[in-house]
Order: sequence, then C-alpha cells, then structure tokens
Amino acid sequence: MIKDRIVTLSATILLLCIVMSFLFPSQFPTVENFSQIMLNLSIDTIVAVGMMLLLISGVFDLSVGSIVAFSGGLAGYLMYYHDVNFLVAIAAALSGSLLIGFINGFLITKIGINPMIQTLAMMGVVRGVALMLSGAGIQNFPYEYNYIGQVKILGLQSPVWYMFAIVLIFSYLFKNIAFFRRYYFIGSNEKAAHLSGIEVEKMKLWGFVIVGLLAGIAGILLSSRLGAALSSSGKGLELRVITAVILGGASLSGGQGKIVGAFLGAAFMGIVGNILILTRVSGYWQEIILGVILILAVGIDQLIQKKK
Amino acid sequence: MNSIKSLLFNLFFIVLLSACEAPPRTGGSDSNLHSTAIITADTVSANEEYVMITTAINMPMYVNHDQAAFKKWAKKMGVKASILGPSEWDIPAQIATFEQVIPQKPAGFLVNGTDPGIAQVINKAVDAGIPTVVYDSDIPGGRQHSFIGSDWYEMGRLQGERMVKILKGKGKVVVMGILGMTNMEAGFQGFLDVIKKYPAMEFIGKYDDKANVELAAKITADLIVAHPDLAGVAGFDGNSGPGIALSVKEANKIGKIKITTVDAEPEHLQLVKEGVIDYLVGQKRELFTQMGAQMLFDMRHKTISFSKNDAKAGVVPIPKKLVTGSIEIDKSNVDLFIK
Amino acid sequence: MKLGLKNISKSFEVVKALQDVSLEFQEGEVHAICGENGAGKSTLMNILTGNIQPDAGEILLDNQTVIIQNNQHARSLGINIVYQERSLTDGLSVAENIFPLPPTKSFGRINFGQLNQQTKALLQQLEIKEFSPATMVSTLSPAQKTLVEIAKALATNPAILLLDEPTASLTDKETNILFSVIRTLKQRGVTVLYISHRMAEIKLIADRVSVLKDGKYQDTLSTSDCKTEDIIRLMVGRDLQQVDVATHTIEEVVLSVKNLTGRGFKDISFDLKKGEIFGLGGLVGAGRTELAMAIFGATTIDSGTILKNGKRIINKHPKQGIANGIAYLPEERKTLGVFLQMSIVDNIISAQLYGKGYSVKTNNQKAGDYSKKLNIRSASVQQLMSKLSGGNQQKVVLAKWLNTQPDVLIVDEPTHGIDIGAKREIYKILKQLTADGKSILLISSEMEELLLLSDRIAVMREGKLKGILNKRNTSENEIIKLATQ
Repeated sequence: MIKDRIVTLSATILLLCIVMSFLFPSQFPTVENFSQIMLNLSIDTIVAVGMMLLLISGVFDLSVGSIVAFSGGLAGYLMYYHDVNFLVAIAAALSGSLLIGFINGFLITKIGINPMIQTLAMMGVVRGVALMLSGAGIQNFPYEYNYIGQVKILGLQSPVWYMFAIVLIFSYLFKNIAFFRRYYFIGSNEKAAHLSGIEVEKMKLWGFVIVGLLAGIAGILLSSRLGAALSSSGKGLELRVITAVILGGASLSGGQGKIVGAFLGAAFMGIVGNILILTRVSGYWQEIILGVILILAVGIDQLIQKKK
Repeated sequence: MNSIKSLLFNLFFIVLLSACEAPPRTGGSDSNLHSTAIITADTVSANEEYVMITTAINMPMYVNHDQAAFKKWAKKMGVKASILGPSEWDIPAQIATFEQVIPQKPAGFLVNGTDPGIAQVINKAVDAGIPTVVYDSDIPGGRQHSFIGSDWYEMGRLQGERMVKILKGKGKVVVMGILGMTNMEAGFQGFLDVIKKYPAMEFIGKYDDKANVELAAKITADLIVAHPDLAGVAGFDGNSGPGIALSVKEANKIGKIKITTVDAEPEHLQLVKEGVIDYLVGQKRELFTQMGAQMLFDMRHKTISFSKNDAKAGVVPIPKKLVTGSIEIDKSNVDLFIK
Repeated sequence: MKLGLKNISKSFEVVKALQDVSLEFQEGEVHAICGENGAGKSTLMNILTGNIQPDAGEILLDNQTVIIQNNQHARSLGINIVYQERSLTDGLSVAENIFPLPPTKSFGRINFGQLNQQTKALLQQLEIKEFSPATMVSTLSPAQKTLVEIAKALATNPAILLLDEPTASLTDKETNILFSVIRTLKQRGVTVLYISHRMAEIKLIADRVSVLKDGKYQDTLSTSDCKTEDIIRLMVGRDLQQVDVATHTIEEVVLSVKNLTGRGFKDISFDLKKGEIFGLGGLVGAGRTELAMAIFGATTIDSGTILKNGKRIINKHPKQGIANGIAYLPEERKTLGVFLQMSIVDNIISAQLYGKGYSVKTNNQKAGDYSKKLNIRSASVQQLMSKLSGGNQQKVVLAKWLNTQPDVLIVDEPTHGIDIGAKREIYKILKQLTADGKSILLISSEMEELLLLSDRIAVMREGKLKGILNKRNTSENEIIKLATQ
C-alpha cells in the first residue's frame, strides 16, 4: 500500500509539472523556478522528515513551528545582543531545541500527558519565548552565519543541499538501522512491540528529541537564509508539515510511511504553492485550497484504512 | 589504486568548493551607479503587470485602502494589477511569494514594508532590474528604488500637540503600540518630544499591545487601576484605539481619559463620533499604492529623463522618499469621513 | 415465556462453534449451562441476544419461530443479558445507568425526580441496600457494579434473563443477594439462563443444568438428582488422540519459580525442567496469563523470586526477559502478538531489534529458513501478515520467538482459533523443541491439548496453584476438580 503512495504521489507531481509546463512554458519549467521551489520547501521538508518519524510511531508534534522560530531567535539574540560567536550561538540554539524535544518526550512518556495536548501547549510556550528573544525581529547577523544558509553550491542554495542530505540519511537509517526500524513496530502495534522487548517509552522520547533537533536545524537554516530572526518564522509550519507527511503516505494511526514520502509530500505542496502564485490565485483561495488538500489527504487515508 | 581514489575524491571536493557561490556581503554602498539597469519599455501594454507583495492579504484596512486604490489605478492606466501574499501575518511566506515572482520579471513591485527581514529579497528584485517601491514602512537594509509612506515621527508629534491641548498642559499620559518596531518607536519619540516641553505633563511609560485589541484593552484597564488619575492614552497601531476605548468605556471614564490614536477605520470614526476617542491621525494609505504604482510606471516608461539613458547612467528617475502626510480627524470633521 | 433452540449450528471459518444444538427452557426455571472454554456457550449467548445469526436451526419463543435481528430486537422480545464485561458509564449515577433512556419532561429535560423514584423502587424490589439511585458508579466496587448491571438488565422487564458468569467478582454476601434476586425473578415467571463453571453455585440455584462440549449438546440433568461428578464427566469425557507422547525431560532445572506473588496470582512455586513441557491448566481468570507475563517481565512482581539455571533473574521489561532466554507467545495473537501491517520478515525479526548488525539481507535469509523449517505457507516472506491464515500467523509468531534463541518458551493458548491441521503441526513443532533441549510452559484451556503435550500439569484457580499433577497418573476429571473447587 505504501509503495503505491510513493508511486501515485510521484506520478501526480510529474503530471502537475507537465501540465504547468504547457500552461506557463516560459515561467514554470525553468532552473530558476525549480531551484526557488526547492529552496522554499527545504525548511518544511527537514521538519517533515522528523514528523514522518513521529507519525510512523503513531504520534505527532504540534510545537515544531515554534521551535523553528525559537532556534533562529536564540541564535540571533546571542549574536546581536551579546556578541556571541556564531558557532557558539548555533550550538546553543540546537541544544535548546534538543532540550525542548526532550521536555516534550519526557512529559508525554513518563508523565503520560496526551501528545497532542502537550505539544499544543509547548507550541504556545516556545513561541512566547521566541518572541521574547527576537522581539520585533533581529537583523544584521554576522556574515559567517548568513553564509551557512545563503551560500550556493552548484547553483543551488545550501538549504536545498541540507534537505537532500537529511532525506537521504534518514531514508537509509529507516531501512537499515534497527533503532529506527523499531518505530514501525511501535506504530503498528504498540502493545505487541512492548511484548517483543522494545522499550516503547524510551523510543518515543528519542523520537521527540530527534524532531526537536531537526526543527532546530531548520530554524538555523531559515534565519540564516533570511539573514533575520523573525517573530513570524515557522507560523503554520506544523499543519503544513503534517499535511505533507500524510500526503506522503503516513497514517494517523501509525506504522506506515517512508521518509522519501515526506519529501514528496512537501514537494507536492511546494509545487501547488508555486502554481497558486504563478496563476495569481488570490490569497483568499490559498487557505481554501490548502485546507481541501488536507481533507483529501486524510480522507483518502481513512478510506484505505477502512478497506483493510 | 588507492592513490587514484583519493585523488578523485580530492578533485571532487575542489570542484564542489569552486562551485560554491558565496552570498554578497551586506553593508555595501547605497550607490546606484553600478547597480543593475532598470528594465524599461517604450510602449504601454495591457499585459504589463504590477505586482503588490504584502502579507495578511485579507486585512480589511489593507483591502479597503491600499488594494482598492491600487486596483483603481491599474484600471485607469489600462495595465494589470496583481495582489499576492499569505493571508496570515507570515513574513517568511511573504518572502517566499516574492522570490517566486521575481523570475517572471513583472513591470514593477509594490512591496508592503512589513519587516526589515524582507531587505534581502527586495535587493534580489532590484538586482534583477525590476522597479521596486516600498510603501507603508521603510526598510533600511534594502536598496529599493523608492519609499513612500507616512512620517511616523510627525504622527507622534501631532498626537502629542493635540494631547497637550486637550489636557491643557497638565496630566498623566501613556503611549501604546508595538514596541521595537522602527516606525512606532519613531512615533513614540515624536510624542515624547512634545510632552517633554510641558513640565506639568507626566509621561508614565510605553506599553506593548502587540497589535491586539484585547491586550490593548487589558493594559488600559490595568493602567486605570494603577493610576486613577490617568488623563490620556495615545495609541500607535490600528488596534490600539478600539482596545483603549473599550476599557475606558467599561471603567466609566469617557471624557475623563482622553484618547488619541492612529488610523481612521470605521470603528475608530464611530468612537470619535461617540466622543470616546478625541483625535485620530489617519494615514493617506491610498496614496501609498496609487502614487507608488505610478512611480513604478514612470520608471518603466521613462516618463521623465535626466540623461540620454537613465537606466544605463544609473539614474533613478523617481523620488527617493515620499512622505504622504497625515489626516487629522476629530469631532468637528468626523462626519465627512463616515461613509 | 418458553424458549427453545432447535438444531442450531454456527461456524466461524473452520471452527465449528455449535453443531446441531437443541435445548428447551421452561418458563420460570433457573437453567444452568455448563461447558469448558470453547464448548460453545458464548456463541449460544450471542445468538440469543441477536449479536450473530445461526447458520442453521431455529429459535422458538412460545413455540413461535423468531429471528432475532439485533440487541434491540432481542430486548423488545424480552431477552436480556448481563455480561461479564462492564457496560456501565462511570461518570453517571446508578439511576442513569440503569435507565439509559430516562423519563423526560417537556423539551427533553430529564425528569430526575421520577428517574430516582423508579430506580429506588427497583432497588427495593431487588432488596439491594448497598447504594442509592444517586450514587456515582465510579465510586462503586466491582461487585456493586455487577449488581447495578443486573438491575439494569432487569429494568427492561425481561422474560428471559441470561447471566454470564455473574458471580465472577462477587463476594459471598453479594452472591447471596444475587441468588435472592434470582429467586424473586423465578417467582415472577422469568426464565434465567445461568452460565457458570462453579458447580457449588449451580447446585444451589439452578433447577436443571445442560452441558455443552466441543459445540455439541451432551445432556440435561436435574440438579437435585445429580452429582457434581456427573456434570464434570459430561463436560470433559472424551477419547485421547494418539500422537507422540514421548517425553524429553531431563532432571536439570532450568527455571525455578518461588513464592511468586503479583496482580492476579499469589504464592506460586514450581520448577521447570530442561526438555519438559509443563502444562498450566485452569479456567479463564485463574491467573495463568498474569503469571506468565510476570515471569516474562511484561508486568511487575510484588514478591518472590525467579531462578534461571540457578541464578536469580529480575525481569522488569520484556527486553530483559528475552535477554534472559525467556520467550512469551501471547494469548491474544491479533492484538498482542503480531504486526498485521508488516511483512512476515519484519514480524520474524521483531523481537531481535536490539543487537548488533541489522541487515535486510540477513533478515530475509533468516525468514526464508524459518519459513521452510516451520512450513509457513505464503507467497513470499515479504507478504503482509494480515494475508496469512491463523495457523500460519501463529507459526510466524513461533519463528519470531525461536529467533531469540530462548531456553524457555511460554506459550499461551497456542492453538486458539486454529484449524485441526495447523494444530497438529504446532504440536509437532513444540515437541521437537523439547527434543532440542528447550523447555516449554504451556498454558491451555483445552483439556485434550494439555493432557497430550504436557509432562506435568499444574492447575491454577483464582490466582493460586492448586496442585501439580503427573500426566501419567491423572485424568481430566482431576484437573477440572482442581480448577473449579
């Protein structure tokens, strides 16, 4: 079934590209346009990889958008107000993001707070901290920091390369490393996983830590790319990413999904976003269309579940 | 064999590194002399497209003033106007939208100066040779061809003068708005500089309402409790006014606490009519986009020339900065504004 | 109202749950229904309450044929049941639970006054004084909750009331209340079908008792005229199948359990020898699964010790159990044993995800080997578990646990819901394992299976170990006796 989704999604993306190339021959199928699309979806994809991990194990995290803002905000705050070296600032931001992931995981697994409620609450708390750090926005980062997200290699800006690296690495890990394979079992049947000797709670905690780290990395890349830590960074990210991951083959009940599906789902949404801009569809429609896509994604997921 | 492998490996990295294209260093000169030539055209075409890039695209104030005027202008000139941007206040999305339209090289960009963070992408547009005008708030790090907007220091000063007048030079006052935003801080300063001249006026502080009505109301309510003799509140973002008015009403202090604020939307006008708000400083938002778009047009069609080839000579044939001035509204003229 | 069942048959895939069963219940009698697990009692109940339809046969109410379409229909016909599982809502009061469709005033507002009145009257009638209509169900003990369930069933004024193991969580005091309620009902002409294992109670409260065995009707006895042994004989007497009964037990003790106490079991002690199949018999609820899970490490132990090969082991998590050479095949295969969405390969390696070198290639190879060894029938080892039959799924589960190289295998109802052919194969596999030096703790409610495979049989009842019998000199009767008294 999952294989089907990768195939059908890829086919859909290909179809969209072909149609768009016919309709906008001078604007859509250009290197510039595609590299722009990739650049814009790179941040989402990096977080989506983490979200796919979580959904495979049967949970999700609503606080990722806030962590993205926090990460860039903390780094910016340290560099701008305290003249901290950019490498130290990055280390601090990533550590902070890891910590947030750990807190999420701890409260969910050891204390037993419902994941949705916990991460929803954390979403607010972390966004608040991010706002305190970045205030109305921090600019004028050191050149070295900006370099990380703005350097172009072979014509593609670095976040795109980071995205590819993370997708490839995690794809490999999920296929060949026992630690990551365990998430499939936990998502498929948590009780059976426990009885099979899998330390379910520990694994789930790690899951949230990994997502925190990935969101932290995404936050650094975003603020580096923009050259600014903005208070609205990462807004709405969680829902976009969950949509992308479900489009990519994950199921809300867990046990399914491939890492490459996260990339494909995000790519699909990125291309749809690009289409909306090229066709000058007004802002009013954007919300509606993205909402419809989510409903379709979840609806089709449900139908497939029922068939089983 | 191994040495060949490592040689290839090293070659690979060298190629990779040389394929690295470092980003431009900021802080370069503002000079237009060696910047990319602006793309011009000799004839006006119905297909030439002027694109407005904003955020919170559905916000009533933006829709009713900025966007309405822009569309009207485009119709009059027989050209295309497109309005793009996210429906939420989402700067990264605004930037992403902007970036994706640049390759299409529209006739010009009208950019809502929402956040200093958009400086980078503005420069990208300018470097692509596309006429770019920023409106509403200036973006200091950007190399836009022009900025058109209100003078916030002036807006603050006007509020200050009026507040002193109605309070007869005596009383406790506060300001409210989004702390940290350049234009609002300028507004606060304008207000403060007036207040400072009157020793009987007591300035209590700056308060952050984060452009949120409920928060503005809550802060006002708290202030009234903390300072029973509070005499005046000056608001600096669109949502300050209604929020402050709400709490003043609920505390039965209409008339006892004077309110001045910015913007002249229906809700503000109504409150002036009711006598709750004493003075409004409105922006001539329609001018932002109407004149801003006109400047884009003029750049493209070389309406006025300063040399044999301005584009090549590095001359920007439009004003660098346009201040649109303010609209003053109080009970005496409010009816003329209510539709 | 007279109730009759004529030639009722029902099968679930290969399992024949009921075969040509005919029963007759008189109006106003208390009629007990007895049988081992799997005898067909639950299927019978489900048919009477409209949950399932019989494949063949008729149901007669007052000599009229009826087709009971669903629960609601059954209730409207006057048939109601009190299940073993709770159907109460903790957050509501006793009265609201007893009358889920309460009397209302205008605009649909609940008439609490009348509701409580009704409930009070009912409770009085049943002489239940332990709680009042307004009491929150969440505050009641399990025993009290059972009483509420009974009152709830009675509130619908049934003509036929089915009670499924009603005294399972009742103390003597409450059991007496229950019995007086039943007697009251008798007087009112209500027919009570009483499903139970407890011989003593059956003799006390029932007029007649009917026995089912392996889905077939055996006989009906009058309780005043018969002895407990007679009933037991009808329940279990059968021919033993001849299969390899050789034993591979060596006198070396592999697992020693001493005074083990935990939730559901108390003071359990026994030794498991190398190459032995140690059977664990008893009725449902005796505490065997709880004991097994505790030994494995899936649940906690309050006190007592476990020695493996002479060394004390403490399993706080299945991971430790596995590391200590213990494997556990759960009773509920679908919910606890398999990963339906995943492939055969993944299921086989699922208990070995902690260790060095996970390799897709090695896994596929291993799966192929086990597939051949255990004769798992499937198109390929990549196939999804959900596509396999019950028997083949169980073999995959066996492969999974064999993959952990255990010394002790605890198998809990290993042939539950599996056809006769696959059953034989699994028996053979288990016996072969003991020949290879492994020890097996076999939990089974199927008497035949227990006697066939086990070298020794321990019987548990209500959490305690009642006795350890040697296969050679024991009988089904002795086992049932220990299990029920």
